[in-house]
Formats: sequence, C-alpha cells, structure tokens
Amino acid sequence: MTDASSPLRRPSLPRETALRVRMRRSGELAVKILSNPTTIFGFVIILLMLSMALFAPWLTTPNAPDPYQMPRDWGALRMPPGTPNHPLGTTNTGGDVLYGIIWGSRTSLQLSIIVVSVTVVIGTAIGSIAGMVGGKIDEILMRIVDVFLSIPELIFALAIAAILGPSFTNIILSLCLVFWVKYARIMRAQIILVKQNDYVDAARIMGDSRLNIYFRDILPNAATPVIVQATLDMGAIVLIGATLSFIGLAESGIAEWGVLVSEGQAGIASGRWWASTFPGLMIFLWALAFNLVGDGLRDALDPRTEGR
Amino acid sequence: MQLRDYIIRRLIVLPILLLGVSIIVFSLTRIAGSPVGVYLSHEMSAAEVLQIEQRFNLDKPLPVQYFYWLKGVFQGDFGWSGVASAPVADVFPAKFAATMELSITSAIVAVALGLWLGTYAGVRRNKMPDHITRIVAVSAASLPLFWFGILLLIVFWANLGWFPVGRSTNDIWESIAHPTGFYIIDSILAGSLTALLDALWHLVLPSITLGFGGVAIIARMMRSSLIEELQQDYVDAARAKGLPERLVLKRHAKRNALVPTVTVIGLTIAFLMQGAIAAEIIFRWPGLGRWMADAVVRGDQATIMTYVLFTSVLFLLANLVVDIIYAKLDPRVRLGD
Repeated sequence: MTDASSPLRRPSLPRETALRVRMRRSGELAVKILSNPTTIFGFVIILLMLSMALFAPWLTTPNAPDPYQMPRDWGALRMPPGTPNHPLGTTNTGGDVLYGIIWGSRTSLQLSIIVVSVTVVIGTAIGSIAGMVGGKIDEILMRIVDVFLSIPELIFALAIAAILGPSFTNIILSLCLVFWVKYARIMRAQIILVKQNDYVDAARIMGDSRLNIYFRDILPNAATPVIVQATLDMGAIVLIGATLSFIGLAESGIAEWGVLVSEGQAGIASGRWWASTFPGLMIFLWALAFNLVGDGLRDALDPRTEGR
Repeated sequence: MQLRDYIIRRLIVLPILLLGVSIIVFSLTRIAGSPVGVYLSHEMSAAEVLQIEQRFNLDKPLPVQYFYWLKGVFQGDFGWSGVASAPVADVFPAKFAATMELSITSAIVAVALGLWLGTYAGVRRNKMPDHITRIVAVSAASLPLFWFGILLLIVFWANLGWFPVGRSTNDIWESIAHPTGFYIIDSILAGSLTALLDALWHLVLPSITLGFGGVAIIARMMRSSLIEELQQDYVDAARAKGLPERLVLKRHAKRNALVPTVTVIGLTIAFLMQGAIAAEIIFRWPGLGRWMADAVVRGDQATIMTYVLFTSVLFLLANLVVDIIYAKLDPRVRLGD
C-alpha cells in the first residue's frame, strides 16, 4: 500500500491556489479574532508584558551579578510608593518593588513558555501515539493518563516540587511533569475524531504512508483545541507557579511575583500594603490577558461556542 | 449500558486508580532518598541506624517497602509527621475538621453566588449585565487566590479591623467542648451563642476568598446551560400557556439548566482542595492545607504522601458521585467510556 513507486500518488494541488486559500482563511480568522474588544484588551496587556520583559535591562539597572535576584537597598527599607528611586516602594529587606515587577515578568515568561512548549510536545506525542496506534498501547497510555488525572494538579505539582527540593527550576520541572496529561487526552480524542473523516480514507487509499497522513491530514486538523488550551495555560501556569512560590517552594529573594507577594505579607499588619499588592496585580493581569485571548481564540476557531 | 452496570464498573476502576496514585506517590517520595532520616539523631552508630532500618523494613527492596507502606496505610498507620511531631493519623482528624468546615462554607458561597450570577447573566444574554458578569467571571478565574485573600486582609483586617484572622478567639474556643472539631457544630451543641458568632465571624474572610474562584466556574456553566434551555420548545410551550416568565424560569428552564451545572461541582471540589492551602496560610487557619504547606517546605514526606492520597480519594469520589447524579438526572447521557 505504501509503496512509493505506486502509480497512485496524491495528486499535487496547484500550490498557489492552496496558499491563497490558506492566506485568505487566516486573514478572515484574524479579523474575527480582533473584532472582539475583550480579546484586543488581552492582546494589549500581553504586548505590554512582553515588552516589559524584553526591555527589562533598559528599564532598570540590572542587579549584579544575578539580575534575577532582588537588589537590596539597606538604606531604604519599607519605603512607601512615591519615594524617589522607588516609585512603587520597597520591601522589608529594601528590595525595590518596581524592579521585582519588571524582572518578574521575565521569570514568568520563562516559566510559562518552557512549561507550555514542553507539555504541548510531550502531550501531543503521547496523545497522537495513543490515537493513531490504538489497541493495547492506547489502553496502557490512557490508564496512565487516568492515574495522573486522579490527583488535583496543583497538589501534584506541589508534592513533586517539594520532593525535588525548593527551587524555581524544580517548580518548572514539576509543572512539566503534571501538565502534559491534559494535552495527551485532548489530542487523542481529536485524532480519533479526525481519523474518521473521508479525506483520511482517501489519502490512505491513495497509498500515502501513515506518517504522511498524520502530519499532512490529521495533525493540522486536530490541533485547534490544543492551541486554545495552550493559550489558556500560558496564564494558568503563571498562576499555579506563583502559588507554588508563594507557598515557599522558590528560593527567597528572587525577582518572582509569587515570592514578592509572600514576602510582602509580613508587612500588611503594620500598614505596608504595597509590597504584596503590586506584584499580585501583575499575576492577575497576566492570567487575565491569556484567559481573554484564549476565550477569543476559542470563539473564533469553534463557531459552536459563539456568544456563549 | 445500564446505570447499575456503569456504577459497578466505575467502582471497580476506582481502587485501581487509587493504587496507581499510591504507586506514584510512593515512588516520588523515594526519589528523595530513604525516609530513615526522621528517626535518626547525631549520636547514633552505624549499627543502630541499621537496626532502625530493619525495624521499619527500610533495608528491603523498594517493592517490598511499598508493600509494607501500603499495609500500614490500610491499618491506619500513615507514618510520623516531622512538622507536627506526632503520628500523621493522630493529627489528621482535628485538621481535617478545620479544613472541611472552611471548604463547606466556601462551597456554599461559591454555589449560591455562582448560580445567582449565572442565572442573572443567562436571562439577560448579550445585554450589559451579561457582559459585566462575564468580566467578573473571567476575572475571578484569573485571580490569584492568595493575593485576593491578602487584599481582603489589607482592607478588612489591617485597616478597618472588622474581621479577625485565625480560626477562633482563644478564650471562647477553650470555653466549650469540641466533640466534632467543627467549630460551628460544637458551639451549637454547647448552646453558646458567643462561640457560634465567633466561629462565623472567623469564617467570613477565608470563605469569601476560597469560594470566589468557584463562583467563576459555576456561573459560566449555569449561564451557558440556561441559555441553551431557554431556546428549547418546552419553554415556548410554557410561555404560550400563559405561565408568568418568573415561573417559566424557576420551574422549567432553571431546573433543567442545573443538570449540566452539577458536573462542574466536582471541579469545584478540586478547586477548593487546592485553594485551601493558600487560604489557610494567609488566614492562619489550622487545617490540612497549612499543615501540607509546612510539610512541603520542610520535606515532611509522611504528611505529603497522606495529603496527596487523601485529596485524590476525595477528588475521585466526588467525580464518581457527580457522574452518577448526572447520568441519573439526564437519561440522554451515553454511558461508556
């Protein structure tokens, strides 16, 4: 069936037409996505956050030797917002809150990009294998997925990070170990659905190899829910990562929003509200932005949920 | 598949899943090394260490150790908690009661507010209140729970002084007996109004903090299923026979819209279990969550294992109950995978 010299080959589509159709469709999609004001709002926040992360070294003087460590100004402990050089105030140990917010955006960006890309790749691979191969292998993989899904994800990640030892790297690692499961399950369900389409049968009859069918016909048509989920997770992972570091699983003194909220907690009884409030607001805006964009994407890609 | 067969199948799968969870949890803790450390002190000789290892079967191969651990769990022996300086099983009940009391009041907040908000928005679809509700729901889902709690503390505890932190005022707590460990129930049993008010007063801020995130999940589900129900023919029929809109909503649409909403309650329970950790840290609530947080930071393996196992059991049971209720309420549900 899969003999390459077979006279029955996939007829090559006129390339230009296919490309034009694809471009027109992405254009329509972009217009649809951008017609929703809340989605645009989300995009704007994301852009601001990204530029903050990108321009961090120019916005503040990087702390030497490690810029991801909060600088300590022992001459300006517990300063309220509006103090010269410390527009958002300082922490109990003289850390500049604004510095923490700016460099914290880099920490959050690293966290979410690493975790989302690793888990999407692992989840897609495992879900695809289960969906494509089926049978015993599918059964085994899905039972493993079921076991992973039996533990609430934050608690699972918390336990893994605790056992690996408190550090920000271990938070990233533990989230990678927990979050792939969701993608595996989504991908498997999608593959099984897409596999039933006539065009997949057509490609098989034409003698396309299974790998070819997977990459050209199945994967592109199965990817939508994974993309939506990944967008939502860009926000959710920062939320959960910050919760883990708030609980005390990151090194103290690093420029990370959850750590800053946790360290600011001690001062609220004496009226020092700023050290927790501003970094927490950043976590909220980050998660909100990706939630809005993720929702907008889902509405645009899946017309069934429109207006719901 | 019959409902009865479905329940039986799910009940068979449940212990298998739990066994899987226990294997994961056990392997995880052993990655960190032998748990013999909790029993050691500096002046022990190598021979003494070996003796201890033999006593707790830690010199055996890992699968055998797993077997002994599991046997212990079945006999109610969950090991020694370094954080609490006591056996896990001894400390557990009181902390469990504290967490449960908080979770139940939070669930009431979440369900009541979520259903109200979802109905309110669903009836006014695509009008201003609907948009506002949508923004509130998305915001609630994006809100770091620990930060929200701190904001409430800044306003209502540090600045206004309206609400306290902790679970009780010490003198009042000690003035009554605690047979159940649930402060509200204990105070009612003791017939003490002061204690009851004290219990409720301490519950306000943590319940709002913990419940608020659940509001988002429930409100969104209620809204979308209500919108779907309102488009059904039976709603038109009810309107056509002259039933007032209020009753159409209450007796027909709302009742049916509740069916899919039940499914997210399982999700809400997982949410409460996870949120309890941060909420208990912030409000100094002496429950399981804060115990777990201490255990996590200090590497207390026995506590971590127990907590993960316990939350998984609760989570799986909640989902099972929800699925059964759902299948029972909506006969269209296809039973099977």
